[in-house]
Amino acid sequence: MGNVENCLLPLPATIQKIIPETSDVNTYRVTFDDPEVMANWRNKPGQLAMISLFGAGEAMFSISSSPTQRDYLEFTIRKAGVVTKALHSLEEGGKIGIRGPYGNGFPFDLMKGRDVLFVGGGIGLAPLRSLIEFMLDDQNRADFGKIEVLYGARSSDDLCFKQAVLEDWPKRPNCEVWTTIDRAEDAWKGHVGFVPAYLEEVGPKGEGKVAVLCGPPIMIKFVLVGLEKLGFKDEMIYSTLELRMKCGVGKCGRCNIGHKFVCLEGPVFDLVQIKELPPEF
Amino acid sequence: MITRDQLATLLDRLVEKNKVIAPVSDNRGVVRYTAIRTAGDVAWEFDRAKVPPKSHFLPQTEELYCYDTTGGELRIEPVPAAGRAVVFGVHPCDLRAIAALDPVFDGVFKDVYYLDKRERTVVVGLACKQVLPGCFCRSYGIEPTDGEGADLMLTEVGDRYYAEILTPKGEALVREFPELFSDGGVEEGRRGKEALSRELAGQFQREVDLTGVKEKVDTMFEHPYWQEVARKCIGCGICTYLCPTCHCFDIIENHSGHRGSRLRCWDSCMFTDFTLHTSSHNPRSTKKERVRNRFLHKLSYHNERYGLAGCVGCGRCVAECPVNIDITKIIADIKEVD
Repeated sequence: MGNVENCLLPLPATIQKIIPETSDVNTYRVTFDDPEVMANWRNKPGQLAMISLFGAGEAMFSISSSPTQRDYLEFTIRKAGVVTKALHSLEEGGKIGIRGPYGNGFPFDLMKGRDVLFVGGGIGLAPLRSLIEFMLDDQNRADFGKIEVLYGARSSDDLCFKQAVLEDWPKRPNCEVWTTIDRAEDAWKGHVGFVPAYLEEVGPKGEGKVAVLCGPPIMIKFVLVGLEKLGFKDEMIYSTLELRMKCGVGKCGRCNIGHKFVCLEGPVFDLVQIKELPPEF
Repeated sequence: MITRDQLATLLDRLVEKNKVIAPVSDNRGVVRYTAIRTAGDVAWEFDRAKVPPKSHFLPQTEELYCYDTTGGELRIEPVPAAGRAVVFGVHPCDLRAIAALDPVFDGVFKDVYYLDKRERTVVVGLACKQVLPGCFCRSYGIEPTDGEGADLMLTEVGDRYYAEILTPKGEALVREFPELFSDGGVEEGRRGKEALSRELAGQFQREVDLTGVKEKVDTMFEHPYWQEVARKCIGCGICTYLCPTCHCFDIIENHSGHRGSRLRCWDSCMFTDFTLHTSSHNPRSTKKERVRNRFLHKLSYHNERYGLAGCVGCGRCVAECPVNIDITKIIADIKEVD
């Protein structure tokens, strides 16, 4: 675990490496300054952490690296608001604060022995990547069946984790990756079209299979229609919900959907739960 | 039993070693729980403090930690833990409200700022002497003389106070100043308290029947009724700031150059930007969603999460709402609407 003594106190950390993903998205590889904190840090795939930029504020992000990677944490972050602009202005060696981990994470134990389809859009691949890398890791690979990844972005520049998506994952045994971009580009030899349409075209069979989604709400909405047609069961479909958070620990009161706090009971929900929630997210 | 003079002496003596928080009237007559320097600062004849005593445990603005980024380094210093404190003069509704806040700040993630203060604070309750027009604590099963939640409970009986020791903390406080308390007239004090309790029970002008309200409101998420309530609301947030069980906060930046601190400030679910995403998406974008969230929190969500009512019937929101939105009317309406 991270900071258990004072759950609101960020722990000092250093940006070790900045990996550009797209024109406005970078992956930040960070380590805690205290080696003991780094050694004791434990998170589950899909959990969140609060990132602090001193002078700007705090914001919540999913941890995009696999927990099997114990030497550092990675966060894949678009330059969008006050905190992320401050983050993007930092260079390698820059100091940030981290507190967490927060949230439930993906229930990977329930996915053991099953084939898993991941459907991601744009930067929505970030939380999925933590679980994909976790499942593809040698120590876990035998626990899971076939891994399928269907990933799309607006343009080829907007694809995150290009090396993994286009090169590494497709070479892994029993792992299939389909990639698409919204509009044709001269240099793009791959598929062109929206994610939901591509999903129907590829048509992975849903029976007994788990689906894990993350992407813009409009993509999720139409992907869910597609998954139902393909025979995926509601209780086997997982998605992450995103709400504004200040504390991450169920106290500041802003990430509630009904009586549930997304920072505690989420961000991962199965479709049965999502359908039971009041439509306020 | 303790006389008024002895009680004043007690507060003066406590000030020497503790932070003593008591109802104090400011120059505009607004009563709030404030640190006193002498017993002379206390607004002895207060009825209901406008700002509830949650302001001690969850201050309106509270420094969480300081940081220094000089020379590209990063040092983070938490603020020192709170010292010993005594909160004097907490009425039964506010005692119940503190109990409602406790599980929010406790739990898997412990909020040390709140819990430190709770642990190191002695709560001295004070029975009400009158029932105000907005009061409806009795509907929540609270009597205006109830001491539940206090460490030491005082009830004014004649020219003295009947003092009940309710916890080890309350006992320790009395034992520290045995010369100020006396056993003489305890039976008279007990009878006086009972008489006051009966008298106050007959003074309530507002009563709500909460039977079935949570179950009903849980089915009303999509009900047009919320639009009706929202039309009146001006979104000022006074109901949330003065509510003794509201706990929403923001964490804000307070910096100059390389040094700064993070402050926790009260926030309100009645404000537009409370839930606003960076993407400009807002799950509670209109007053309808925000008003609905507030009343569902009070009448259902808090109860669902913690098994405790999210309203204590203190009547502050009823008394202070500039457009007279009245939770007792809303509770009655909820029972009526189809």
